[in-house]
Amino acid sequence: MSSVNAQIVKESSGLPKIAVGILLAILLFGMFIVGYDQGQLFSLVEGQKAFDDLWMHEFYHDLRHAAGFPCH
Amino acid sequence: MKTVAFILITLVSGAIAGTILGLINQILVEPYIDQAIAIEVQNTVASGESVDVDELVQYRLWQKGGEIVAGTILGTSISALFGIVYIYSRDSLPGSNNKKKGLILAGIMFFVIFLIPALKYPANPPAVGDPETIEYRESLYTTMLVISGFAALGVAILYRSLGQTRRESRKIIVPTVYAVIIALAFVVLPANPDEIIISSNLLMNFRIVSAITMGIFWGILGILLGSFWDIVKPHETRATKLRTI
Ligand SMILES: [Zn+2]
Repeated sequence: MSSVNAQIVKESSGLPKIAVGILLAILLFGMFIVGYDQGQLFSLVEGQKAFDDLWMHEFYHDLRHAAGFPCH
Repeated sequence: MKTVAFILITLVSGAIAGTILGLINQILVEPYIDQAIAIEVQNTVASGESVDVDELVQYRLWQKGGEIVAGTILGTSISALFGIVYIYSRDSLPGSNNKKKGLILAGIMFFVIFLIPALKYPANPPAVGDPETIEYRESLYTTMLVISGFAALGVAILYRSLGQTRRESRKIIVPTVYAVIIALAFVVLPANPDEIIISSNLLMNFRIVSAITMGIFWGILGILLGSFWDIVKPHETRATKLRTI
């Protein structure tokens, strides 16, 4: 009796749905905070103050312009 | 499919490419943003308000740091989309290795996601936009972005389905369908409502360097993901079987 280790290399291009979901969530969240946020995210904890501070808008401001998002 | 390895190399490629974008912008784009902000400051002073120069300098440094952080975040988020599209299109892309395939797909996605929306709604430096219209402009820009993205997805599916019957003519049909959709969107969507009150020189230079650095970003993203792909080979699944004879 002898045992043989056989390594099988399979190719598959199917991406699990959960992976697609995670990546799409990262896409939308990242695009939103860099390109769109006008205080919405921080307003969840800060309330109205976030809409006056516009922290994300101000901090990501230069790239928002440079990457072609509407700003100002 | 090595899913975790795939997600890791995708996001790391994007984070690196995006950070480089933020750094390159410091050299190429910032001179124009600084010029535009100087115009804004002049306008503020002319209207009778005072401007604290020291404070402004500190604030601008903070914003330039933010630009690099924003590059990392935007790069990571764009790479998430790039990775998904790459998996589903890798077999159809021309190119003898993943680096070339990655670069070709990056070129296509730069065109679809950045260049086409930018031709309808070009990037503007500070001193141009009216804060009152920001939501309207965001909705216009997003509509153009989404139309271009879904039109590209649609014609990619069309390209694949024409593979059996119209192997040659699909190379003409598919770009034509995309071009017609984009032309319609350009005609139907309203123009950017804001009045341009800065020199057209500054405006054009800003738009050109913006497109150049975004092009560099996409190129780096494609090459990086392709290179990592050739090393990690996330599409292969290794199963070790123990057979007893
Ligand atoms: Zn701005």
